Amino acid sequence: MPPGSPSILPPGASAAPQQGPPLPPPPAPAGPPGPSPVPIGARAEQAFDPPSGMTWARVSPRLTWHRRIAVLLWALPVTIVGAFVMSRTSGLAGGLIWLALVLVSCGMGWIIAELTYRSWGFAERADDLLVTHGFFVRHLVVVPYGRMQYVDVTAGLLEQWLGVATVRLHTATAATDARIPGLPARDAAILRDRLAQKGESRSIGL
Amino acid sequence: MNGPYGPNRPPYGPTHVPRPQFGPPMYGPPPPGYGPPPYGPPPRPPVHFSQGVHRLHMATAVINAVGVVVIAFVLGGYSLLVTQTDSGIALILTPKVIARFLVVMLPVSAIAAAVGFWTWWSLKFWIAGDDLVVETGILRRRNRRVPLSHIQAVDVVRPLVSRLFGLAEVRVELAGGDQAETKFRYLGRPMAEQLRAELLARAAGLPGHTPEAPERPYWRVGFGALLGSQLMKLPVIGALLLFVALLAFGVVFGELGVLAAALPVLLGLARGVIAPLVMHTNFKAALSPDGLRLRYGLMETRMQTVPPGRVQAVRVVEPLLWRGNGWARIDVTVAGYVGERQALSSVLLPVAPRHVAIQMVGLVFPGTNPEKVPLSPSPRSWLAPFGKGEAGTDDSLFVTRRGRVCRRLDVIAHARAQSVRLTAGPLQRLLGFGTVHIDAPAGPVQVAAENRELGEARAIVESAAGRADRARATDARSDRWAR
Repeated sequence: MPPGSPSILPPGASAAPQQGPPLPPPPAPAGPPGPSPVPIGARAEQAFDPPSGMTWARVSPRLTWHRRIAVLLWALPVTIVGAFVMSRTSGLAGGLIWLALVLVSCGMGWIIAELTYRSWGFAERADDLLVTHGFFVRHLVVVPYGRMQYVDVTAGLLEQWLGVATVRLHTATAATDARIPGLPARDAAILRDRLAQKGESRSIGL
Repeated sequence: MNGPYGPNRPPYGPTHVPRPQFGPPMYGPPPPGYGPPPYGPPPRPPVHFSQGVHRLHMATAVINAVGVVVIAFVLGGYSLLVTQTDSGIALILTPKVIARFLVVMLPVSAIAAAVGFWTWWSLKFWIAGDDLVVETGILRRRNRRVPLSHIQAVDVVRPLVSRLFGLAEVRVELAGGDQAETKFRYLGRPMAEQLRAELLARAAGLPGHTPEAPERPYWRVGFGALLGSQLMKLPVIGALLLFVALLAFGVVFGELGVLAAALPVLLGLARGVIAPLVMHTNFKAALSPDGLRLRYGLMETRMQTVPPGRVQAVRVVEPLLWRGNGWARIDVTVAGYVGERQALSSVLLPVAPRHVAIQMVGLVFPGTNPEKVPLSPSPRSWLAPFGKGEAGTDDSLFVTRRGRVCRRLDVIAHARAQSVRLTAGPLQRLLGFGTVHIDAPAGPVQVAAENRELGEARAIVESAAGRADRARATDARSDRWAR
């Protein structure tokens, strides 16, 4: 924040007891260090850094494969039906164009699956859970344990086969959207129990 | 205010309400219909819902049965009464026709009466400990336990028909889903008031036979102000002008086809103006220890009670044309109201002078003043040349203000925040912006500070999370609020 820019924090905010400084001093980004005047892109990333003194717990790399297989499973019928229709209506060229389109989107999906996987992270603080995700639109969700109504673990067929599961926190609002996909099934169960326990001990109703 | 609600509790909200120079009269001399306490002692010895098992009003059985008979008549009964003749169909009541009609309708009526009675008989409710227990079901019995401490709001609704019979419906709202509402349809009116008072008293942690909590009238919306407020909206004026123009065009050029276009406009106007007008006529807000009481409605009167701490977020709306009069409206998110009921119950104050509205916000979030919260504007950029509103926070509230034509002030208490989110889309990240959402339960009011500088946004997230923790720790537990 440039000095002198309007701050949303009231003047007395820092006087109040607080867990850590309001803006965590940005630790060195995990990737290669950027040039010394931080470019805007990197500054944007800093806002999604883990809380000071913590690192993001990452999810299993099998999440990438889950996404990729899902992409392929979608692509297969789309390719067959689309190529068939296109070749019927506009000849072989149409079918080939369709095939190329699908291949390109699959390739993009392939890459995005990896990027999305890397964007997932979560951190358990003393009083709240932080989850970050998103490659195009970055998200950071802070859910106080006391606000959790329930935690559930779901695993679709593909997820079961890969041995991963999704932990989802439910609060009184659907907007919260705090889920952690691609956790190894055992870790997911442990995390669920731990979160549920923390929620139980801090429950405050609505 | 001595009594079961504690000796000399500090009044709920500011004691002094300045009299505005405009708008409807404050409760100076009470208007005739509102003088003595309208929910005074019931004439009969009061029923205590805490003891024994209770049923709905007997008339419910009759109403249910009549409803079934009417449906049966509309669906098939009437066709038995008419006869096919050479000149079309006609109503000829020969004995044969009447016999035919009775043979079908009498058994239907008998069955309807039996089912109506049985439904009425099978619905029982009682208060067991801290739970309200409702048992329903003709064939399969269903037993629902409602924890009283989780009640979000209790409404007494009196649709036009039930008013004729002196009946009322009690709706108990809980957080969580469309199924989370418990209806008592119908109770006698005194019974309904008594049930409402008792549920709220017990939810507040008082013994069930506590008398009705005293209430203090706070604000009344006059019909003139309500009508004016509904008309003085840009879309309404636009539609009116369009309607008049269409009519004039049709008359001048003799083109009656234009009327076909004018009709939908008229219907839209009726929906946009008359519906809220009818709904909020006689709007009265009152304060009592068991919450904010709202009464309104012309055809269907509703009495809402929102206990303290149940309001999740509020929005003060000032449309462009209202600002000349200094009017504002308050929309509100209460966790219990979901779906259709949310649209019906999302208005806390349909129209009032702005300072009253602000004061009301101070009442639903006690001890706060949204005007005192320092706001800072969001930075301007090519993405948003005029900025994206202002946001600010103090130790108890998070406030955003946005909108140039229709000004909106969104307020949420940190203690009510469900979660805090920071999102940044690709364009926003390019500019180094992010949006901070303070999530309230689903409702008309969603609070978000858009396009904040990302470093600041993260600081807001951290401070909001910390404040929410502290606010919740110091916030008196919102259930059992009278203890």
